[in-house]
Amino acid sequence: MTRSRIDWQDLLFGLFLVAVAAATLVATRNLTVGSTADMGPGYMPRVVSLALLAFGLFFCGRGIRRAGMAIEPVQLRPLLAILGGVAIFALTAERLGLAIASVITVLLASFATREGRLYETVPFALLLSAAAVLLFVKVLALPVPVWPR
Amino acid sequence: MELFDNLLMGLSTALELNNLGLCLIGVLIGTAIGVLPGIGPIPTVALLLPFTFGLSPPGAMIMLAGIFYGAQYGGSTTAILVNVPGETSSVVTCIDGHEMAKQGKAGTALAIAALASFFAGTLATVVIALLSVPLSVLALKFTAVEYFSLLVLGLIAAVVLAHGSVAKSLAMVLLGLLLGLVGIDVSSGAARMTFGVAELSDGLDFVPVAMGLFGLGEIIANLERPAERRVLSQSVRSLIPSRADLRAAFPAMVRGTALGSVLGVLPGGGAALPPFSSYALEKKLAKDPSRFGKGAIEGVAGPEAANNAGAQTSFIPLLTLGIPANALMALMIGALMMQGIQPGPQIMTEQPKLVWGVIASMWVGNLMLLVINLPLIGLWVSMLKIPYRLLFPAIVLFCCIGTYGIANSLFNVWLMLGCAGIGYFFIKVGVEPAPLLLGLVLGPQLEENFRRAMLLSEGDFSVFLTRPISAVLLGIVALLLLALLSPTILRNRKAALAEAS
Repeated sequence: MTRSRIDWQDLLFGLFLVAVAAATLVATRNLTVGSTADMGPGYMPRVVSLALLAFGLFFCGRGIRRAGMAIEPVQLRPLLAILGGVAIFALTAERLGLAIASVITVLLASFATREGRLYETVPFALLLSAAAVLLFVKVLALPVPVWPR
Repeated sequence: MELFDNLLMGLSTALELNNLGLCLIGVLIGTAIGVLPGIGPIPTVALLLPFTFGLSPPGAMIMLAGIFYGAQYGGSTTAILVNVPGETSSVVTCIDGHEMAKQGKAGTALAIAALASFFAGTLATVVIALLSVPLSVLALKFTAVEYFSLLVLGLIAAVVLAHGSVAKSLAMVLLGLLLGLVGIDVSSGAARMTFGVAELSDGLDFVPVAMGLFGLGEIIANLERPAERRVLSQSVRSLIPSRADLRAAFPAMVRGTALGSVLGVLPGGGAALPPFSSYALEKKLAKDPSRFGKGAIEGVAGPEAANNAGAQTSFIPLLTLGIPANALMALMIGALMMQGIQPGPQIMTEQPKLVWGVIASMWVGNLMLLVINLPLIGLWVSMLKIPYRLLFPAIVLFCCIGTYGIANSLFNVWLMLGCAGIGYFFIKVGVEPAPLLLGLVLGPQLEENFRRAMLLSEGDFSVFLTRPISAVLLGIVALLLLALLSPTILRNRKAALAEAS
């Protein structure tokens, strides 16, 4: 654990909150706020996002002023492989069917670690795909195509 | 004997053949994910939620509850044999449990852990039954005003008593509340923050949010750490503890159960905090504290009893008041809503079969767990041989299919993807995601009750203080927040949480 001069964890979380609050205020600017006795749909979003804004600014300020732990460097391999695996499932599940989508998803997700061996991963992906089709489509009757349409 | 009648009614529900089967499935899955490190009950319950649609409401709740307390049993097996906690709640069991295993007493440790869990589970069931009736009588007096105050108390207490920085957790609750506002406003019909996406008009589904934040985000962070080597050297010989072992363990079990039951009922309670407190208590009470860390049997019996008791009594606020004590209970609320049951103070009078069925099933489930865990220990041990490199792609796949399954919508899969990224970000900046889930689930109810209360009082905030029950509830909130500002409590809390992590 190395120390850093400013608290990046606080600062980044603060910036995230400010961004969310700002986006909400913009997105809900046209909703009627109303009065406390008769609240419009915009009342709660406004109140909550203003509170979030305050929290965000507080964390930003605290983060800049005090020292903190350095954030461990981001490793792209697991991040991209897992997110990519989910994305490929979303892209292929309805078009190519569950059987094929499952195999691709498992294979892509497996790239998240260097430990994987193809002779192990490929049969495992096929096995999982078969299990998924059997469990979700046959037993639990999930309405998703099994094969490409 | 109303209590007795209620328990009998619950038992008859729990003993129906298909509910028995669901209970068995629940505790089996629970034990499995408990044994496996790296997958916890929260993503598992989230994953299984979509498939509880077709079940009866009691059946669904019985199964999901079984996963939670089943995981407490499984977690200790891994802790004792491999010195890796299968669940966060079994971190303490590693200390003395694994030490016992090293001394060749793995079987004794496992048996004591299972017996302590069973003992605690049985007593906690009685505690739930005893506390539920008075609480539900109180709940009948609740209007929108009281319910709003209660929701505030639940959220604040959950934040104060849970891990991590209070300020950050409060911010996370607000973030969850904000996410809960997405969708068509019920009273005006205006679309809020839907960005023209049709799928968002019904609001954010919390299943993809929970799976992304807790399941996938966690996996990505796990994979960044160097893989731990699991050594399974100890063979399990005799499972029957000696009379001396039992005599040493029994008082610790009783104390652990009492401590766990109390800590579990508190909002923010659950299975994580009780074992640490119990371990500290046992060490303080022991004649020779130096034995702890070297295979003291009390160090296994106390915490194991405490985590199981806590896991079960954390259902009390949910079953009587409709308030979730932790993120997992928030998912349970979601399960109820999917079944078309509005959680809230009226749940016990309107759904007695459900509430008492779940309570009684816990005892039945604990009995099953005792049988499943001890003779079948070999089966669970062999599950530990599945390497993480095979486990995580399977979890990713099942998360994808599960999320898709809630509404057959690919939108939810994309939503889960986004939440996975955000969950990873939260881990990187050191923020706990659990308060967000509480906020998300309670957000709509909080807004609805607030608006109703304000409508009744014509915008007068003092109504929250002039009504006695509400005033007491908000008084507790104020006390909790004030207590946080006091330096001694701040220091103690820091020390307690440091010990816990």
